[in-house]
Amino acid sequence: MANSENKQVINAGIVGWGAYIPMYRLPTREIARVWGWPEHQYKALNVSHKSVDGPDEDSTTMGYEAAYNALLRSGIDPKMIGAVFFGSESKVYAVKPSATLIAEMIGATPDTMASDLEFACRAGSEGLKASLGLVSSGMVKYALAIGSDTSQAEPGDVLEFTASSGAAAFIVGPRSESAAIVEDTYTYVTDTPDFWRRAEKPYPRHGEGFTGEPAYFTHIIGAVKGLFEKTGLRPEDFDYAIFHQPNGKFPLKVAQRLGFPKEKVLPGLVTPYIGNTYNASALLGLARVLDQAKPGQRILLAPFGSGAGSDAYSIVVTDLVEERQDKAPKVDDYLARSYEIDYALYAKFRRIYVMLPRG
Amino acid sequence: MVLPVWWRKRIPRYRFVGALCKDCGRIHYPPRNACPYCGSRNLELVPLPRRGVLESYSIVYSVPGDNRLNAPLPIGLIRLENGVRVVAELTDVVPEKLENGIEVEAVIRRIGEDGETGTILYGVKFRPALGRK
Amino acid sequence: MAYITSVGLVRVNRNYHKSPRDLAFEAASKALEDVKLDTIDYVIVASSLTYLQASQFDLAAYIARELGVHVKSAFTVEAGENSGLAGAEVALNLIRSHAAERVLLVGVDKLTEYISNRTYKMIQAIYDTESDAVYNVGHAGPMALLMRLYMDRYGVDRETLAHWPVMMHAHGKENPYAMLRFAVTPDKVVNAMPIAEPITLLDAYPIGDGAAAVLLSSDDQGGDHLARLTEVYSSIGFQSIALRDDPLSIEAVGQIAREAGLSPDSIDVAEIHDSFTITGILLLEELGFAPRGKAAELVAEGAFTKGGSGPLVNASGGLKARGHPKGATGVYMLAEVAMQLAGTFPGVKADSPRKGIAVGVNAHGSSARLAFLEAL
Ligand SMILES: [Zn+2]
Repeated sequence: MANSENKQVINAGIVGWGAYIPMYRLPTREIARVWGWPEHQYKALNVSHKSVDGPDEDSTTMGYEAAYNALLRSGIDPKMIGAVFFGSESKVYAVKPSATLIAEMIGATPDTMASDLEFACRAGSEGLKASLGLVSSGMVKYALAIGSDTSQAEPGDVLEFTASSGAAAFIVGPRSESAAIVEDTYTYVTDTPDFWRRAEKPYPRHGEGFTGEPAYFTHIIGAVKGLFEKTGLRPEDFDYAIFHQPNGKFPLKVAQRLGFPKEKVLPGLVTPYIGNTYNASALLGLARVLDQAKPGQRILLAPFGSGAGSDAYSIVVTDLVEERQDKAPKVDDYLARSYEIDYALYAKFRRIYVMLPRG
Repeated sequence: MVLPVWWRKRIPRYRFVGALCKDCGRIHYPPRNACPYCGSRNLELVPLPRRGVLESYSIVYSVPGDNRLNAPLPIGLIRLENGVRVVAELTDVVPEKLENGIEVEAVIRRIGEDGETGTILYGVKFRPALGRK
Repeated sequence: MAYITSVGLVRVNRNYHKSPRDLAFEAASKALEDVKLDTIDYVIVASSLTYLQASQFDLAAYIARELGVHVKSAFTVEAGENSGLAGAEVALNLIRSHAAERVLLVGVDKLTEYISNRTYKMIQAIYDTESDAVYNVGHAGPMALLMRLYMDRYGVDRETLAHWPVMMHAHGKENPYAMLRFAVTPDKVVNAMPIAEPITLLDAYPIGDGAAAVLLSSDDQGGDHLARLTEVYSSIGFQSIALRDDPLSIEAVGQIAREAGLSPDSIDVAEIHDSFTITGILLLEELGFAPRGKAAELVAEGAFTKGGSGPLVNASGGLKARGHPKGATGVYMLAEVAMQLAGTFPGVKADSPRKGIAVGVNAHGSSARLAFLEAL
């Protein structure tokens, strides 16, 4: 395989990580009840509930809390952050960066880069990779990469079963300060229109089955195989495998095809409990794995974004991980903080009934 | 809420910063031009503890404004870990579980917006504290 | 010192058919009915919502022009819910400093011009718009925080506190100018619709429109008067209940009560600010009429009604039953106490009272005023 990515030591790693999941949960059976789907339709997805943002939450507030948690774990002065990347497909402004909002909230301004990135569910990961490059090159000391979404789905569309809300954030910094170092990465992108949202339209559309083989599977497998080829690593070298998780079924399927046993996937699989948090999907999986990982363990991370592309990362946990695990709420703390709502309240929160102004 | 009104106060509201009076030693939130206690203008901005105890609360049913999206609206009188008190909106509240004395923590949420096409206002609210510090 | 020469009241109500100017005209005309005047030196209009609701600046000049008497000067005084007594403070000082011989104080506000949630939003501005009122706390929110804190600290139950509105309605029933003229029971208060828990609809002032006028004169002016206004004590408080050492202590009221040297025995009749049950209860304690934590119990025992052990409090029915047209309320209070001292109040009457007070606050106590009146 021709390789555009140089093989070199990445002088950067994850210094702090943070998660956020809103407390409201909508059972998928409730969506089936309202829209008249048979239970087969959603049971196959392996998603029991989806997380729903409260009426005063959005991708900015969720991204902020994840970033705040990442800062707590890192213990760094936010003024030392030289880049803030915000990956989302549910930005609160079509024009006006959310990255500056979060940078201001955490106290990183004004001496910092700040950008919003868009690549369907992969923008947060692109931010992570760009952060690694900026830190590794020495251009900035620390960078903050956030993936956050209050995912949209048209009411009644099958997408509604999984489209959920959550955020994950990572402080990328020098290798020597990292709780997990990134050994290598490999990115695989093509023009594949499996899922999109036209400008000024409220809901995305998708190609149904087309989102599977030519999109999700081709790109993740392409990225992971590229990483294997570049590094010589094999599935047995990894303790955990985390893939983008649009539902509870695809990540297990792609793992199987790549030769990873289920046990290595389950610790980083959060979608069955909260649905697909889009830009936070695989990154929340990584946060959950870091919450429990032991020094020396190796993690495969492969987020995916429609349109389409996937980044594969080989991540090795360092001795610093354990002292940072308890410095902020864990993914499991947010999973445990749940309050079940019905479709009616969900519809109010998401302003589905009518275009309710937020007031 | 017009744009510059909110914008110029954004830092204390985003970062939950109070003002320490260097003459009487007391802290107040939000920061003001003069100490409410002694009138001193010799003030220094200080970050406030994000955890506190709910001293009192109310569920407001007659919510002012244009819609019921945030109704009913829980509010609280919070005593922070350093003794400073704040009146603020509460969020992520299950009304049946509200009671005086529970631990709460500061978060950033949407406070309002300048109409459907205007800017969004963010600021501090308090929610029942997560189990972990 | 100034004399209160005459008063004019409009019944607080949903006066949909009358504008603020119509209401002010009606109250002022009543006050001036029996007084033969060539000149009023000053017309002071106390109002807080009108400039928002009627979109009218220089309101006092427009109102004064319509009174049909010669007026030298006119201006508007705004101090939120405390506007009426702020107007009294200015009027007294104008007379005392010999800048004026006669001042007509007119309080007016309408709360029914807009639908309720817009009105609540406007009223919310009585609180600090840079702190507490950043949130949609409404008028009742911060006072509800105090009510729960009070119940918690002193172990006073909801039912005991309900005796305040019960007493207010019993008084208001007899007052022809009161908006709510029916009796309520503690049970009804407790089970009424919640406004901001634990405050219910029957703990709250009704939404109504009103205007009141008081003519004040210097002692050089002959003729009959109703009472003497000897002093208006005034103080400002913290921006929020959160800044007080004790949130339940309305320090601005405590301050003026001390300045006025109040004791329960020294006062025969009082009109006090009771935007909500808890406001009335806290004021009773801050004024020294009841020990801390005991006011509700004393109210339930009938201490502040006719024949009770304390002064007669809110014979008008208070903000609760007479009504609370914001800027006008302090002027109603002043007029009611003056009428009590003159023996002409058309409702529950004190027995030959000699001394009376009107006490107002804005919001939680951002400012407080106490008008001291004496019988002639
Ligand atoms: Zn001071």
